[in-house]
Parts: sequence; C-alpha cells; structure tokens
Amino acid sequence: MWVFRKPIPRQTEILLGLAGLLTFLGAWQLVAVSGWVRPQFLPTPAAVVEAFGRLFTEQDFAIDIGISVGRVWFAFLLSVLVAVPLGLAMACFRAVGAFLEPFVDFVRYLPVPALVPLLIIWFGVGEASKIAVLVMGTFFQLLLLIVDDTKRVPAEYVESGFTLGASKWQIIRDIIFPAALPSMVNNLRITLGWCWTYLIIAEIVAASSGIGHVIWSLRRFVKTPEVMAGIVAIGIIGLLTDQAFRLLHRRAFRYLER
Amino acid sequence: MAYLDLARVSKTFLSEGRAVEAVTPVTLGIEAGQIVTFVGPSGCGKTTLMRMVGGLETPSGGEIRLAGDLLGGPDRRRGMVFQSYAAFPWKTVAGNIAMGFRYRRDLGGAEKAEGARRLIDLVGLRGFEDSYTNRISGGMRQRVAIARTLAANPDVLLMDEPFGALDALTREHLQSQLLRINRTEEKTTIFVTHDVEEAILVAHRLVVFSARPARVLDDIDVAAILPVADRDQSIRDAPDFLALRRQVQAVLRAEQRRAERQEGDNAA
Ligand SMILES: Nc1ncnc2c1ncn2[C@@H]1O[C@H](COP(=O)(O)OP(=O)(O)OP(=O)(O)O)[C@@H](O)[C@H]1O
Ligand SMILES: [Mg+2]
Repeated sequence: MWVFRKPIPRQTEILLGLAGLLTFLGAWQLVAVSGWVRPQFLPTPAAVVEAFGRLFTEQDFAIDIGISVGRVWFAFLLSVLVAVPLGLAMACFRAVGAFLEPFVDFVRYLPVPALVPLLIIWFGVGEASKIAVLVMGTFFQLLLLIVDDTKRVPAEYVESGFTLGASKWQIIRDIIFPAALPSMVNNLRITLGWCWTYLIIAEIVAASSGIGHVIWSLRRFVKTPEVMAGIVAIGIIGLLTDQAFRLLHRRAFRYLER
Repeated sequence: MAYLDLARVSKTFLSEGRAVEAVTPVTLGIEAGQIVTFVGPSGCGKTTLMRMVGGLETPSGGEIRLAGDLLGGPDRRRGMVFQSYAAFPWKTVAGNIAMGFRYRRDLGGAEKAEGARRLIDLVGLRGFEDSYTNRISGGMRQRVAIARTLAANPDVLLMDEPFGALDALTREHLQSQLLRINRTEEKTTIFVTHDVEEAILVAHRLVVFSARPARVLDDIDVAAILPVADRDQSIRDAPDFLALRRQVQAVLRAEQRRAERQEGDNAA
C-alpha cells in the first residue's frame, strides 16, 4: 500500500480516486442535512444533481456549455498557434528573445480582470472582447512556458544535429520541436485550465450566454442548487479535458515510459 | 600538413568577467584513419579542444584544418558522440540511425536503407530496430549514437568519454567494437577518456595533456609498440601494454603533483 515513489496497480489507483470523491460527497451531505447551515447556502448533493437536470431541461444549458467550450477552445487554439512558433523563435534566437521578453514579462504581470474594462472599450461587448480576455490571460503565460520548454532541450541534441549536417531550420523542426513537445503538451493542458478561469470572468462581466452568464443570472434569484450545478459542470468539463490531454500524452509519447 | 591539422590552437573563456585559459596553444597533426586518444587531468581542457575540432567552440587563436580546408562552425564532416543525451529518445533505434542519413544528399532512399541495415549489423543491434532508446541498455544507446554518427559519414569521429558511464564489461565490448569499426571504416577518430587502459587499448596514438591550460605533455605512437592489427582485450596482459600504462600513469601523476604545487604557490 505505501510503496514509495513507485506506481501502484491501476485498479487501486482508480478505487482510491473514487473513495476520495465519495468522502468529499459524504462530508458535504453530512453538513447539509445536519441543520448547521441553511439550505439556501448549502443544498444537499442530491438537490444539486436535480438542479443540474433542471438546467438542461428548463434552461437549454447544453447550448450555454457549447458556447463556453467554443470560446475557450477558439481562444486557446489562437494562443497556441501563435505562442508555439513564437516561443520556439524566442528560445532559439537570442535576439528575438531579448526583444520580446521584457514586454511579455510586463504584460504577464497585469491582472487580467483589470484589463476587462479596457478590452470592452476596445472590442465592445460581443464575442471579440471575450476572446480577447481569454487570449490576454493565456497567451503570454503560455509563451513563456514554451520558451522554457524549448530552452530545456539538452545542448547535446542540438549539437548532434549540427554535426549530422542539419541546418538551423532543420534542427528546430526535427530535433528541438520533437524534444520539447512532451513538456509543451503538458503545459498546454495546464494553460487550458487557466482559460476556463478567465472565461468565467469574461462571461460574468459582459455576456448574455455561456456558463458564467447562467451562473451569474441564477445568483440573483438565490438559486443556490443551480449555481452549484453550474460550477460542477465546469469541474466536469475540466476533468474530462484534463483526462483527454493525459491520455493523448501517454499515447503520443509512449517512448517516455521505461 | 597532416590530414587533421591543429596549428597553435588556444581557447580562453570569459566567465563572470574573469579570463579562464582552457587550452594553451596546441599544435597537433593527426593522420587519416588514426584513432588518437586524449588523456589528462580532469578539467584540463580536453573537451574544449575536441569541441573546437567539432566546430562547437570557436578557438581564441590558431587554425584547425581538415584535408587543407580551414574549419569553421559544425557540419557533417565532423561527427560527435556524447557521453550523455547521445541518442534521441523520441526516435527508435532505426529512427535514430535514419537521422544520420537524413541530411545527406549524396545518397538515394534505397542506398540509405541499405546503409542503415549495414550499420545496424556493424554495431550489433539487429533485432532492436524498433525499440525506443530509453528501453535499451546504456551500452546499446552508445552504439546507436555511434551508428547514427557513422551514418552521416563524417571525415572525423569525435568521442568525448563515450563509454564513461558504462560498466566494465560493456566498456570492453564497445572498445573491441570501436577497434573493429575503425578497421572497416578507417575513420579518423579523437577519443577522450579518463581510463588510461582504455586510452592505450583503442589508440593508434595517445596524447597526454597537462593540467589546465591544456598543453601536450607526451605524445606516444602506440601502434608502433602494440600493432593495431592484433589488438584485442587480451593485450591488457602484454608486457609492452603494462609498461606503457605505467609510463602514462607516471606522467599523469607527476603532472598532478606539479599542478598542486603550482596551485599552492599561487595561493601563497
Ligand atoms: N563554456 C565555458 N565557459 C567558461 N569556462 C569553461 C567553459 N567550458 C569549459 N570551461 C572551463 O575550461 C576548463 C576546461 O574544461 P574542459 O571541459 O575542456 O575540461 P576536460 O579536460 O574535458 O575535463 P574533464 O576531464 O573533467 O571532462 C575548465 O576549467 C572549465 O571550467
Ligand atoms: Mg571533458
């Protein structure tokens, strides 16, 4: 049971994960039915599950989920498409890195919520401003992560490449990129999680659709079970995406297993 | 002029505003097809000198010529085998060797495939073509790196402690293979090692360097004493081999003492 820094059987792992979730749910149920807190503040898990169902039957929640997922992935892919090549360039060519790093570092430290009013002035209250919030929140972080991943590629790989006769461009394509790819994919997974945080901020501030908007409008009627169901929905989507990314990572980078 | 010609090659690093002289002008001519081994105290500048030959470090002074051509940055003419991170982990054994052929324009697809088969046999990796390199042993990984480097068909093979991280038996096996490969491929080779026996065993010629900054202390024509043709592991017991080993070790020990004394003087 207490093997140190070694894998445990897959089944045990899954069972332990379920046990952890059940413990949490049990504790929640206990507190909710004990009468310590009013149900308006903490409904039971069952009430949240019911509310979850109502969201779909009465509110067309599926459409809002679709809209939110769409926004997240659009902004995320946009960030990735620019951050990966730019990050590679910044790490491989010191001049590009030196030119951009101070600026990127500066923008990275700006709290995204503080930018929301400005982004709304610039982009209005339509889709563009939401995408802009998400991109501002993820692009600069992702860029620096990609730069780090690229810099961590051992010099030996690159030097081997030169002595095999590869050009700089060929080395980036055939050696640096594949060598850095596993940690890049891992960082994409983490960044996608951040995207959700900024999405909810964007949808609460200015939106007429999406999960964040639904949660925010239900709050006004103190529909606590529905609000919690909305939050759970975000959690489930996050969990599923995360697992999908991990699966992709395991499949694509089999060679990392020993 | 020798095939690989180092003329007054030196290197001074600037680190944290301080000049560190790693290689003091070294002049060395290496004949085609020879294996030349470098030994010397740790940190004396062997890696630096080899990296300059590979074009991975720019000399502060002097010239390096290969077949008369002045050498610059790294290219396919000088192949390098590193001690660690030698093979690409995202490629299989066959994929790694293919990377050696990949940038060659002088061969067609069929010739590359044929060459890959020949190299796999040469380094004894038949049956492991589809294995990823972190699932094979360290010794096999070094053989992958050697095969990949040979695939690029360099004029000079540079090996920096390539067997340094391996166990004694695997080392002996690879030393024998290196000798055998040199007989068939006749590649000019520079081989850096800390192991004096290894340095004699695989050498046509052995160069002993001083403590930093590296300068040539001794230059031994090993092939004249121990003919290369009948070189194998059993030669370790030959009287000539033992005498040579004692000679090299004596030079290294004397140099160690001198360096320590000098350090003491500098500190005083
Ligand atoms: N990039 C660098 N910048 C500054 N100093 C360096 C650099 N590379 C090497 N040196 C210094 O040059 C000297 C020689 O280093 P080098 O690695 O060539 O020694 P070596 O003979 O290969 O040592 P070892 O036998 O331990 O591998 C050392 O003092 C080292 O600290
Ligand atoms: Mg060294």
